[in-house]
Amino acid sequence: MSSLSVPAKVPVKMIINWIGLWTIIRREIQRLLRVPIQAFLAPWISALMFIFIFGYVVGPRIASIGGHKYLEFVLPGILMMNIVNAAFLQATSQVYFQRFMKYVEEALVAPLSYAEMIIGTLAAVVFRALSTAFGILVIAAVFGGLRVVSIPEFVFWVLIVSLIFGLLGMAVGLWAKNFEQLTVLNIFFITPLSFVGGVFNTVSMLPPWLKWLAWGNPFFYFINGLRHSMIGFNEAPEPLGMVLSLTFLVILSVAVWRLFAIGYGLRE
Amino acid sequence: MTPALRVTDLRKIYRSGTVAVDGLSLTVEEGDFFGFLGPNGAGKSTTIHCITGIATITSGSIEIFGVDAVKDYREARRLVGLSPQEFNVDVFATPVQIVDWVGGYFGIRKPERKRRIAELMERFELTDHLKKPFRALSGGLKRRVILARALINKPKLLILDEPTAGVDVELRLDLWRYLAELNRDGTTILLTTHYLEEVERLCRNIAIVNKGKIVRQGPKESFLAGDGLEAAYLGATGAKPDHVAAGAA
Repeated sequence: MSSLSVPAKVPVKMIINWIGLWTIIRREIQRLLRVPIQAFLAPWISALMFIFIFGYVVGPRIASIGGHKYLEFVLPGILMMNIVNAAFLQATSQVYFQRFMKYVEEALVAPLSYAEMIIGTLAAVVFRALSTAFGILVIAAVFGGLRVVSIPEFVFWVLIVSLIFGLLGMAVGLWAKNFEQLTVLNIFFITPLSFVGGVFNTVSMLPPWLKWLAWGNPFFYFINGLRHSMIGFNEAPEPLGMVLSLTFLVILSVAVWRLFAIGYGLRE
Repeated sequence: MTPALRVTDLRKIYRSGTVAVDGLSLTVEEGDFFGFLGPNGAGKSTTIHCITGIATITSGSIEIFGVDAVKDYREARRLVGLSPQEFNVDVFATPVQIVDWVGGYFGIRKPERKRRIAELMERFELTDHLKKPFRALSGGLKRRVILARALINKPKLLILDEPTAGVDVELRLDLWRYLAELNRDGTTILLTTHYLEEVERLCRNIAIVNKGKIVRQGPKESFLAGDGLEAAYLGATGAKPDHVAAGAA
């Protein structure tokens, strides 16, 4: 009897399929490495341009904000924008391409739990967001604009924002019926709100009628939190931002888990 | 003995309202080579999708070697290998990557995976194509990759959804020999195909599905008696040979 044809024994019950979980992460990283320009170089070059223009061309003509050079002030905003984009694009593309090319069925017929599928996807999201952030920090260091006053706080904001936008991207990846729908949230929600959320300016610089919007804008708290961790500049109570972010994370985690459990967009 | 597969009163209604499977019941004994036949749109693939977890079920139950395929889906899925009708792969990946990833999903450790992949690549004569992306392979080679992928976890129940569609005669014959060998060695096989010759040659038991229901099932011999399998098939699906001939004329 050849070893190829001997059927497997009835398996013992698995608690966590660690190898399966690692395979989801490994597979996605291998996919990303097939498109390094799109996945890594594009955000680094974009950040380089922002840092160059705002740090070196426009920056010296702007008075310091809260005692910080403009480059130091604007860097957390640029970093946050890129983390948000990396996390969201990674999650939407990972989920949507699996559905579009139907290879999501490889995971569906395997002994993987919904939690393993979600955690595996989020791990790839965090990998891409961290890689993007690391490259931008290196660029910022070259331009002399890098400061991190609280590493734990910095790590908290990078991770929580990656996870929030990873989960949001997964939901959009499950919902989208075509490539155009993948970009809808980015065009109409993420980009406008991040721009008015304090990437390039403080809330006090906004016209009075727009200030209320900033306080209701979640991006304001994300950018403010990261900025506080990097240069100590703060416009909103730090715990408020943290509580709001953790609330978003919990709500989105439950929602995405539910979508996976009912097979929304995944199973026929 | 616990059957390899027991489907009881399965119903699958899509969101559009289409009833794809309508109270289908089916038992496949362990060690059987089971032919699952029916015209296009009869509900064969939907039934397979429900068994393997690609589709949710509306009602009914599915047991694989006694394991509930809905409640204990992880345990049930470890026992099954699926070769689907469509090429549901990452077309930019290589054959080794495709099989390796699925092996990983099944929790197979790396050394075992590497050994199995080497064996499967050798068995399906894919060793000259290991570094080519899937999309660059011919139709026959693509089918071999899909079969290798279905076998990476040494399934006790192998489900083949039209595995020889678009495959040349040489590969078809080779595949028949291989499937017979797998079945001899203990793998239960559920086969859907439109090639009745394939069923006659390989299967021991047959079920015919039409409009989501089993319309006839039994041992192969019961289908061969009389005018043969083709006549039995056409009779069961409601398309009499005479009507078909008249339509063709």
